[in-house]
Amino acid sequence: MIVKVKGLVKRYDKLVALDYLDLEVAEGEIFGLLGPNGSGKTTAINCILSLLKYDKGSIEIFGKPMSADAYDIKKDIGVIMQNVAVFEALTVYENVHYFCSLYIKDKAKVKELTEEAIRFVSLEEYRNFYPKKLSGGLLRRLNIACGIAHKPKLIILDEPTVAVDPQSRNKILEGIKRLNQEGATIIYTSHYMEEVEQICTNIAIIDKGRVIAKGTKDELKSMISIGEKITIETYQGNENMVNELKAFPNVFSVELRDNRLEIKSNRGKNNLVHILDYLNKNQISFGRIVTELPTLNDVFLEITGKELRD
Amino acid sequence: MFQLYKARLKCLVRSKENIFWSYLFPILLATCFYFTFGNLWTFEDYESISIAYVSEGGQDDALKMAMEEAHTDNGTPLFVVNYTSEKEASKLLEDNEIEAYILGDSDPKLYIKNNGLNETIIKSFLDSYRRTSITVQTILNNNPKALEEGLLDDLMEAETFVYEVDNGKRPDVMLIYFYSLLAYTCLFASGWGLDEVINIQANQSHRGARVSVSPVHKMKLFLSNMLAAITAQAGGITLLFIYLYNILKIDFGDSLFPVIVTCMVGSFTGLALGAMVGALGKGKVESKEAIVTAIVLGSSFLTGMMIVNIKYIICKFAPFLNYINPAALITDALYSLYYYDSLHLFYINIGILSGLTVVFGFIAFLGIRRKTYASI
Repeated sequence: MIVKVKGLVKRYDKLVALDYLDLEVAEGEIFGLLGPNGSGKTTAINCILSLLKYDKGSIEIFGKPMSADAYDIKKDIGVIMQNVAVFEALTVYENVHYFCSLYIKDKAKVKELTEEAIRFVSLEEYRNFYPKKLSGGLLRRLNIACGIAHKPKLIILDEPTVAVDPQSRNKILEGIKRLNQEGATIIYTSHYMEEVEQICTNIAIIDKGRVIAKGTKDELKSMISIGEKITIETYQGNENMVNELKAFPNVFSVELRDNRLEIKSNRGKNNLVHILDYLNKNQISFGRIVTELPTLNDVFLEITGKELRD
Repeated sequence: MFQLYKARLKCLVRSKENIFWSYLFPILLATCFYFTFGNLWTFEDYESISIAYVSEGGQDDALKMAMEEAHTDNGTPLFVVNYTSEKEASKLLEDNEIEAYILGDSDPKLYIKNNGLNETIIKSFLDSYRRTSITVQTILNNNPKALEEGLLDDLMEAETFVYEVDNGKRPDVMLIYFYSLLAYTCLFASGWGLDEVINIQANQSHRGARVSVSPVHKMKLFLSNMLAAITAQAGGITLLFIYLYNILKIDFGDSLFPVIVTCMVGSFTGLALGAMVGALGKGKVESKEAIVTAIVLGSSFLTGMMIVNIKYIICKFAPFLNYINPAALITDALYSLYYYDSLHLFYINIGILSGLTVVFGFIAFLGIRRKTYASI
């Protein structure tokens, strides 16, 4: 295991931020730490990095106990924090160069890696710009370049796409995948389930400082009863129709709201076909039909009873 | 380490705010002081005061003679006297042609329009004359032969009202302003010190968190950052010193080396003070900046940078403050170099200042050595 966290407890007075948190991150994976704001993701990362003291538990990185003085471990870690942490008075190139030189002593190597990192985040044409001249998305990319320039084996990204435009977000997510393909193990925290679903090979869902579910996205989705969610736009819906649809095989929930019929069913074949047959037979006209597979939000909702973004 | 030092130095000298407050502001202030208060007390530039003497109603020859003979220490006549009527004198005063007029009588009366240094000199002169007249009158009443016996010779000698102190060094009120300004600039290094500590503390800044997860020892980062801050501060203080010494021709005494030492130690004190405030507690960066600014301005104020009399008031009513106020220690070290041939007082001031620097530095070290935090 690249990272092994066991029984981690962190308290702020009476508030338990991490409640016997266990995590294991294997080499080569993109590990997603998914949870709503305040669930303990950043606290967990700060403890893993030895920035925060913790009350109980153990943390191992690369098979060695992690501590603030573990410089041999730190040299192989790249960190991209939630907030942009660059120097306003240094240009894009100088910022990346500075943070790279914290890890690499060889001057020529630092230069080479700096150029490579700038290319990686596509900031070549902004290399002489000062950070205040960059847009939010470009600034985030600079932040990433500063964290990965030294080619770390383990990269920790703590909500790197907060307040980023869709175009930059896609670039960042593609970049993370590329870093992983080049051999880096990634820990990615986010409260955006779509991002975690899109890039993570293994996911831990965290709430109130505890891991409430973990596995691949398919494993997580298989844990819950919803197999399919069908939404049908209709202006002829009524109470009788709702009750009749509830009696269909696999269907366990039917709701009619704002001329939209929302049907949740267990995993099973031809759920949609049966429902459309029923609507045709009863000459109920309908508009748009949307079928969705369960999302990680549904997983979170079923386990905790609340939305992921609450 | 040189790479880290170079990058930090770039950050410091590229900050327009830093450059303005540490490099340009002291020079602007020095220029303002020079043109506002410049040569206020300079002896060579003393100009005789125009006054009028009204002899109507009984001419007092002794007073007339005293006025004509009064002079400064280097022989410049104290007054230019116009002999005129009271009506004319009043008009001259109204038109600012004269500073005052004296109505000669057995009890001379002084008429002035404004309050100022010249009016003070005229009043001092007249008070002195009155005291001398009464004394002479009393002696002559008791011993009519006193005049013949030469007993009044000393009394009759004209008093010097503007004089130079001994060892060729004049008490120059301007020095209070310029020395305080130099002390202020030294202590303004606290801003650099604060910045450097904030930038390596994970619980104070995002940059601090980022460098804290790097494999560089915190003390190494601190040292390279402080070296950059010292370099930047040295630039500012050198620029100001050259401006004061070579352009404004401010007198720093006979030997420049101890003056440079004072500036160096003062700058270290400023850096250590800022580092200490930065390392103590988790308060907001803005609050810490406000604390540092308040300390620097407050300590400079107590040395007379804004109101020159404060220096005198502190000396009289709370002299102990001068032993814990870094700005006062810097200015006192500079005064001692200017006024005294002995370095005894200089060593005392520099010794206490160095002690304060060590204390500030040690407290800063205790705060900085922490690597993990209870909260960030």
